[in-house]
Amino acid sequence: MMHVSTVREPLIKGKKSYNDITEDVMAPVRAKPGKLWYAGITVSSLLMLFGFVMIGYTVWFGIGTWGVNRTIGWGWSITNFVWWVGIGHAGTFISAILLLFRQKWRTSINRAAEAMTIIAVMCAGIFPLIHMGRLPLAFFIFPYPNSRDLWVNFNSPLLWDVFAITTYLLVSVLFWYMGLIPDLGTIRDRMKSLWKKKVYNFLSFGWKGSARHWQRHESMSLILAGLAAPLVLSVHTIVSFDFATSVIPGWHTTIFPPYFVSGAVFSGFAMVLTLMIITRKALNLEEYITVGHVESMNKVIIATGSIVGIAYITELFIAWYSAVEYERYAFVNRALGPYAWAYWIMMTCNVISPQLLWIKKLRRNLAFTFVLSIFINIGMWFERFVIVITSLHRDYLPSSWSMYSPTWIEVAIYLGTFGLFFTLFFLFIRVFPVIAIAEVKSVARSSALKFIGKPVKKNSPEKLTP
Amino acid sequence: MKKRNIPDPVPFVFNGKLKKSLAIAAAIGLIALLWGVFISQAPASRIWANLWINAHMFLFLGLGALFFWTVNVLGESTWQINIQRILESMSLTIPFAIILFVIAFPGMKDLFEWTHTDNLDRILQEKTGYLNIPFWMARFAFYFILWSFFAYYLRRISIRNDYHPNEKYLGKIRSTSGWFMVFFAISSSMAAWDWLMSIDAHWFSTLYGWYIFSSMFVASLAVIILITLAFKHFNILPNVNTEHLHDLGKYLFGFSIFWTYLWLSQYLLIWYSNIPEETIYYVERVNNFETLFYLNVIINFLFPFIALMTRNSKRQPIVLAIVAIIVLLGHYIDLYLAVIPGAVGHEHAKIGLLEIGLPFFYIALFLAIVFVFFEKAKPVPENHPYFIESSNYENI
Amino acid sequence: MKSIVYGHFTDEIDLLEAVKELQNKGIKIDDVRTPFPIHGLDNVLKLPRSRLPKLAFVAGAIGGAGGLLFQIWVFTKAWPLVIGGKPFLSIPSFIPVTFELTVLFAAFAMVIGFLVSSNLGPGSIPDILDEEVTNDHFQIVLSNINNTMPDTDLANALAATGALGVKNIKTEN
Repeated sequence: MMHVSTVREPLIKGKKSYNDITEDVMAPVRAKPGKLWYAGITVSSLLMLFGFVMIGYTVWFGIGTWGVNRTIGWGWSITNFVWWVGIGHAGTFISAILLLFRQKWRTSINRAAEAMTIIAVMCAGIFPLIHMGRLPLAFFIFPYPNSRDLWVNFNSPLLWDVFAITTYLLVSVLFWYMGLIPDLGTIRDRMKSLWKKKVYNFLSFGWKGSARHWQRHESMSLILAGLAAPLVLSVHTIVSFDFATSVIPGWHTTIFPPYFVSGAVFSGFAMVLTLMIITRKALNLEEYITVGHVESMNKVIIATGSIVGIAYITELFIAWYSAVEYERYAFVNRALGPYAWAYWIMMTCNVISPQLLWIKKLRRNLAFTFVLSIFINIGMWFERFVIVITSLHRDYLPSSWSMYSPTWIEVAIYLGTFGLFFTLFFLFIRVFPVIAIAEVKSVARSSALKFIGKPVKKNSPEKLTP
Repeated sequence: MKKRNIPDPVPFVFNGKLKKSLAIAAAIGLIALLWGVFISQAPASRIWANLWINAHMFLFLGLGALFFWTVNVLGESTWQINIQRILESMSLTIPFAIILFVIAFPGMKDLFEWTHTDNLDRILQEKTGYLNIPFWMARFAFYFILWSFFAYYLRRISIRNDYHPNEKYLGKIRSTSGWFMVFFAISSSMAAWDWLMSIDAHWFSTLYGWYIFSSMFVASLAVIILITLAFKHFNILPNVNTEHLHDLGKYLFGFSIFWTYLWLSQYLLIWYSNIPEETIYYVERVNNFETLFYLNVIINFLFPFIALMTRNSKRQPIVLAIVAIIVLLGHYIDLYLAVIPGAVGHEHAKIGLLEIGLPFFYIALFLAIVFVFFEKAKPVPENHPYFIESSNYENI
Repeated sequence: MKSIVYGHFTDEIDLLEAVKELQNKGIKIDDVRTPFPIHGLDNVLKLPRSRLPKLAFVAGAIGGAGGLLFQIWVFTKAWPLVIGGKPFLSIPSFIPVTFELTVLFAAFAMVIGFLVSSNLGPGSIPDILDEEVTNDHFQIVLSNINNTMPDTDLANALAATGALGVKNIKTEN
């Protein structure tokens, strides 16, 4: 039997019984959406449509409508791609890696974080598809038998990305959905209207809570977690290979794989915090997503943020140490060249600001955390911008040096992905339970502040007995 | 829950029999050294390189344990409290590593090209701001002084709580662990650059520090597992149960994969871009140390991956013990490949009695220090607020 | 004709006790239904360990091996191309895709295996006896399929363990 020390902070505040947990989490699904929700989804849908129109414009008139040129062939599009994929990593980290580490505090945030992952990966996937120009021929990237005997280039990291992002999207959906099934059963059984019951029964795949099914479900969840953990490391590693397999200074460096993965978890957790701090208030879930949860997420942020900071310093030092003048110049240019403003935004937001989280008071302060989480995401966007653009605009041959700035179309497409992200998230909170009901119930007895239920029997060990 | 039949703990005594076995092992090591010097007449670079490798392995075991302890403190995890005294005792070996490094200092001229200051090429000239003996020595002292301080200070906080438990204990140990972690993150990379990467002074890799860290951590885990298994077997730590072993097995499995990931990242990227000033590192190893190069990956990746994949394997002491011993050997080979090609070169490098026997001295010394410190304290920190939680959990 | 006797508890501790009591009386339990997985229930019910992990391993091995061999075939037999001076058989390059396919195949096989072995899927109609099972009822279901005792005895035994809402229903299948 599990014993949870009384010194630990409770994961569920207030007085809760199993029924309370069901009711609290189901309330947003049951309730009619309020004015705020309607306003939110209207704005985000409009933004999304605007972005899609701009994508159509780009496909029709060509990539010339963007600011990319020689030698900066990748601009905002790839910056945005890496940014969105990075954000997606938090969901899998919370669901899979924290499960393997037996961190019970993950149970009230993993559902929403996983949903965020799936939506973020969808937003990310738009960019590689459209930046190739001929969107209708996008299926060329997959290896399929064809009359020209042509196969894809398995030596290319861009192709490795195709497999990585596709696998990641599919496995994330599987992991998220399999976890949802029991909760969808719960919703089905609590719905009164017949057609809603039918719909949720269909979605829940006929779940009935049988012990045999739970046993297989747990086994499957553990193995999926075991698969998803290296998967999430591999995805951002392969994204980093897009840069690191090149030969240009600032891109070709061996630290990229783990550094990118840390950066992804860093920005992902920041986005989860941004979303959860609002969601917990708007959906009255403050007793489930507690200040303790926010603090735990902040600890992950300071760990991964510090790793990113150390990676920056390592790159700087080794650039000097290498005695290669191109390496050295690449970093001098980042700090002092025409894009220095981007570099210093990145340094301030990513290295300096998260270090404030060593202070416990700030870790537990929701307003500070919210503002910081936005700064971190801005900083991480600039990190990708700095990596992509500064290394491309000035590499080995000075006569090739050029500048890049985005056209308004690229900016519009990026804003459009925010529209897609929030539209899908608004839909998610309406239709699906934001918190993993069954998982929270399984930790309620041991970790709730005041659990309403039969008290634990007297002869359960509070001391070690020989 | 059914009552477990937990036997009474047997107090640990570093007795004569144990001391004798360690003394024999140490003697084997010294004989191997003397053999290498006088009978095989090994070139000086090979002798110094072996002393250098072993000093590192000795340090890694202790430093890795200190990292493992503090990272679990910061993660608020509790299962490791049952083996905390093993971790503490291993951490206290760190200051003794200083002596082992210092005895290899006379070999610096053989190990490090950049010490030949009258004869530096352009590239090494550029690096003299960092690679010069005074600055290098100052950094050496700095790393060791602070690592040793943290090991001793954390130990002191832990022991004090045995006798004067107070509620500030958790806060103190957490904040100290936090400071250590920041220092460790920076110093472990810098130490790897100073002591290992600069052996191949014309080469560089930004990942190197983290790669060496992963090797250090897995080797340390292997030794933690072996000592834990031994203490559990002799009922010195009877509260260590199958769940703890399972967790240690998960760590060994997971971090072996992590080591492989970093190994592959470094290798794949350098191979793919094919830039000569970087590839020279691997060309040297794949061409002239081929067997060891591939053995390195097979022992450190394939073997633990296959042997520890199933749930049951991680719960069986004999499987854990075998995998731990082999992985420890594997990471020794990793260190060998980090040092020998650059310091000795393939014409003079051999695997002889010196290479095989010398580690026994260092292992014996390491275990002796661990046993001395373990004997001095209570076997488990009973007053730790999370102590009861530490033994009561189940893995799925 | 199948006859089912079922009852529920309001928490998992009573449920576990009741299951043990019934087993001591020699009664075979048809099903236990709970809102969340109960630690230790599998052992008490002596459920055989799931074979899904083995399925995942086999499927992953097929995916990985298949992916690696396919890439090797493409680059050595089908249309060898010199990419960046690399050899045709460039194993390091093939590792990322191999790994991804291993994970993809393992994940899909497990999910499909789970759904098929549990008879769950889009369109499945479950035999819900008590809608509160997915909320906070912990239900024990007994049947005459593997119990020879008459229904009234089963119902009494169940009620004796403290179960609430003990009912007996008869169904066609």
